[in-house]
Amino acid sequence: MTAVVQKKICMLGGFSVGKTSLVKRYVHSVFSEAYLTTVGVKIDKKTVILPDRIVNLILWDLAGEDDINSLRMTNVRGAAGYVLVADGTRPSTLDVALSLRERVEADFGPLPFVLLLNKSDLKEQWAIGDAELVELRENGWWVQPSSARTGEGVEEAFNDLAVRTAG
Amino acid sequence: MTAAPDILEQLLRSPSGDGEIDRKALAGLLVEIAQSLKPELRRQQNGVHPGDLQLEQLRTLLVGHEIETVWRLAGLVDDPERLAAAIGRILPTAIAQATRDERMGHVLAPVMERAAESSIRNDPKTLVNILYPTIVPAIRKSIGETIDEMFQRVNQALKYSLTWRGLKWRWEAWRTGRPFAEVVLKHTLVYQVEHAFLVHRHTGLLIAHVAAEDAVSQDPQLVSSMLVAIQDFVRDSFSGAEHQGIDSVRLGELRLWSEPGPFALLVAVIRGDPPEGLHETMRNTLSRIHAERYHALESFNGDSEGLGDVEARLRELVALGEHAAPRTLVARVLILGSLSLLLLGAVAWGAWWWRNQQLWEGYLERLGAQPGIVINEAGKRDGKFVVSGLRDPLAVDPRALLDNAGIDPARVETQFEPYQALDPRSVLKRLNLTLDPPSSVKLVIVGNNIVAQGSAPRAWLDRADAVAQMLPAGAPSFDLAGVRNEDEADERRWQAYVDRLRAQPGIVVTKSEARDGKFSVSGLRDPLAVDPLKLLGEAAIDPVRVETHFEPYQALDPQSVLHRFEASLDPPPSVTLAIAGNRIVARGAASRSWLDRAHAFARMLPAGAPGFDLAGVRNDDEAEEQRQEVAELRQQADQRRWQSYVERLRAEPGIEVTRSEARDGKFAVSGMRDPLAVDPLALLDGTGIDPARVTAHFEPYQALDPQFVLKRLQASLNPPFGVTFAIEGNRIVVNGSASSPWISRARKVGNALPAGAPALDVSAVRDISEGALGKLRDAIQARSINFDSGKSLPAAGQEQVLDEIASELNELVKLSSTLHAVTRVTLTGHADSVGQGTSNLSLSVARAEAVRALLKKRGVDPDLLQVRGAGQLEPLEDDTSGTSANSAAARSANRRVSFSIGFEEEP
Repeated sequence: MTAVVQKKICMLGGFSVGKTSLVKRYVHSVFSEAYLTTVGVKIDKKTVILPDRIVNLILWDLAGEDDINSLRMTNVRGAAGYVLVADGTRPSTLDVALSLRERVEADFGPLPFVLLLNKSDLKEQWAIGDAELVELRENGWWVQPSSARTGEGVEEAFNDLAVRTAG
Repeated sequence: MTAAPDILEQLLRSPSGDGEIDRKALAGLLVEIAQSLKPELRRQQNGVHPGDLQLEQLRTLLVGHEIETVWRLAGLVDDPERLAAAIGRILPTAIAQATRDERMGHVLAPVMERAAESSIRNDPKTLVNILYPTIVPAIRKSIGETIDEMFQRVNQALKYSLTWRGLKWRWEAWRTGRPFAEVVLKHTLVYQVEHAFLVHRHTGLLIAHVAAEDAVSQDPQLVSSMLVAIQDFVRDSFSGAEHQGIDSVRLGELRLWSEPGPFALLVAVIRGDPPEGLHETMRNTLSRIHAERYHALESFNGDSEGLGDVEARLRELVALGEHAAPRTLVARVLILGSLSLLLLGAVAWGAWWWRNQQLWEGYLERLGAQPGIVINEAGKRDGKFVVSGLRDPLAVDPRALLDNAGIDPARVETQFEPYQALDPRSVLKRLNLTLDPPSSVKLVIVGNNIVAQGSAPRAWLDRADAVAQMLPAGAPSFDLAGVRNEDEADERRWQAYVDRLRAQPGIVVTKSEARDGKFSVSGLRDPLAVDPLKLLGEAAIDPVRVETHFEPYQALDPQSVLHRFEASLDPPPSVTLAIAGNRIVARGAASRSWLDRAHAFARMLPAGAPGFDLAGVRNDDEAEEQRQEVAELRQQADQRRWQSYVERLRAEPGIEVTRSEARDGKFAVSGMRDPLAVDPLALLDGTGIDPARVTAHFEPYQALDPQFVLKRLQASLNPPFGVTFAIEGNRIVVNGSASSPWISRARKVGNALPAGAPALDVSAVRDISEGALGKLRDAIQARSINFDSGKSLPAAGQEQVLDEIASELNELVKLSSTLHAVTRVTLTGHADSVGQGTSNLSLSVARAEAVRALLKKRGVDPDLLQVRGAGQLEPLEDDTSGTSANSAAARSANRRVSFSIGFEEEP
């Protein structure tokens, strides 16, 4: 039997960057959107099958806020990793994402994460240039454009996280 | 800052394979050098050897800087305070670094314990204050749970203390020694732990999950994470809950109980109503899990590998549950139902009881109002209504009223003593009942009296009168004046009739009665008096309604006596009877007989009767009477003659006169007459009595007079010649000689004579057979004629014998005939034993015949001779045995004819 491991992964990001859509795209969704709006979090699970093990990524999809809110930080507690999502068409969300990252790192130490620049399918409105991308990558971060609609980049992102958290 | 500790460390560190350099010595040397270079240094510190100034200076030059440093360090080290301060500054970091080392925990543990101990000893409050934030919530929680538990117990106890099940459980509790609440909980709590989640607090990841078999849930990992998220949300949303977690969530039948542990959270999803003790169980489970897998839990990072035992613990938890569910609802319904029923029952019973009381009281009122009923006591006893008092038997039956009152008679006991009510209504009732007035009479109550109105027959009136008189004192009076007597007219008529009857001579009325329309009159009535019933017709009274009863009596009033006289004597027309004063006088002429009768009648009148005077009646029959007198005299003479005749007759022997009568010139005599007696009629000659007038009737009888007996005997016995009868005193003696048959006959007759007759004595009579006749007989019988063997003719030489026999026989015959006897001779032939019996028999017969014939020849009457053969059966001697000579002689003797003679009376 291959080992089964659970890891808590948080979806962090600004308002309406597509966190939920991403999750919806690829997970076995049990709880409805209502939880997101009432409790502030919606838990989902994504199973990633690695060669030597199966990793259950418990995705904590947090309600998006533009204002940095301490509420969210408690939700991040215990996370093995997180997914930062920014809306590629709105550069402000990238800033939000980055500041979130800092906060997380400050509170919980460095955790594996991936940065997804979502809504890559909206090429016309794409506002993040390649240079920025490179810059981000230089930090040693795993940055990837993604699209919940097309599914671009999502699988890889989760896979990467799975490897990095469970491996 | 980083540099200094390093050097100090190095300086102080004991040599470790660093050569043989004694650093301490070197250090001392350098200090010396420094002191020698700067003498003031010597004063400041101990252990510095005062030395050369130059050395000091050298020291200062070479290692001045270092000496400074060293001095500063030494000062630091030597000064405990400063050293402590310095160490204190780096201690946290050092410890933080050291935490990685496992040993740290072990090393610090005793220190921690001692520290805590000393802190508590010094001032417990310090530690308490420190622990307060954790203790207090824990305590509060515990207290809360305990109180909850207690409430639950009380709740349960209350809920079940009054039910049947509750009582049963109390019994069980008492029996098993467990607290009642526990038993209740055991029976009632229905819960099941459906899920048990062990959630890592930090990450919210699911460490282990166990679900009950029929439990349904979503992905446990998601659920556990969501639980944690919710916890966080609540904690974050509401102030004052910073250090606490949600420990209980209720959603209808489901409860989420969570127990926080240091690293893991135990969440149990319970369906139903779990006991408060489950918290304890969960805590225990959690602490066990923590104790067993402390490190695994601490370092959990999502990998549930190797945590199977945790799952086992959780499974234990999930196994908890109590299933008695279906009854709770039903039980509640039942309890409610029974309670309400009880209540209804109580209410109903109360209402029923009240209603009963009302009915009872109403009934009592009505009963009391009844006339003829007096209630003494009324109440309840032993669950029954009791009423007692007095009741006039005619009053209404109290029990009858019960039905109207709607009370169950079985629940009522009545006890009424009878009494006679004297109130008008009761009395009226009674009167009505007793008197049963006819429809023409009405009884009404007027004031305090009872008045009767109408008309009624006398009988009823009399009865009513009697009853009215018998009314007890205090009763209303009974007024009958208003009732007309219907029978009055009748009564008057009757009375008139009775009066008339009384006036009749020969009738004495002792009693007369008029009742119920019937009349009766009784008394005495001389049979010759007038018939009372005849008078009825004149009285216009229907005879059917009259009963007369008159005993006959002899009235002694002259009138009646006269009547009687006339009736019984039937006087001839020539006689007239009249009553003169108190006498009856007869005048006229009548026959003597009539006169006699009249005289007799007069004589027979009882005392008190009027005298009867017959002197005035002339006797018509005088002449006649004289004639009669003469006739009578004649008659008397006849009588006398007759009488003497009868006496003579009586005197005759053999005649008994039983009756003799002389009447009207005719005579009759009757009695008994022995046929041998004289003929009574013959005696009449010479008496002067006309035999034609005599009737003699004599029954024959046997007189016992000796004379007659003698005559009779003579007649019947017919004695032979020479026999005489004589009377000697009271015996008849016979003399003479006669044959023995005659003698025996005479003797028999004598014996047969009736009692009272004289006895017959024949003892003097001689038997002729003993005389010559007997001799002859014997002689002949001794003879016998012999025969030869086989021959039927006599043997030779016996002719003379035969002659002799013949003449003897003839003589015998002659002699016997003179004695009036007949001779019978039997010739019996015999044979010897030789030969056959039958031939011997015939031979013997032949022999006898032969002898007979021979005798006949000799002149003997053959009729006298009888012949018989005896064969060999009557031998003279036994010829079958003995010597031959003897037997031959015997045989010869046996061959014979023998004679036997008998006498009979001459017929």
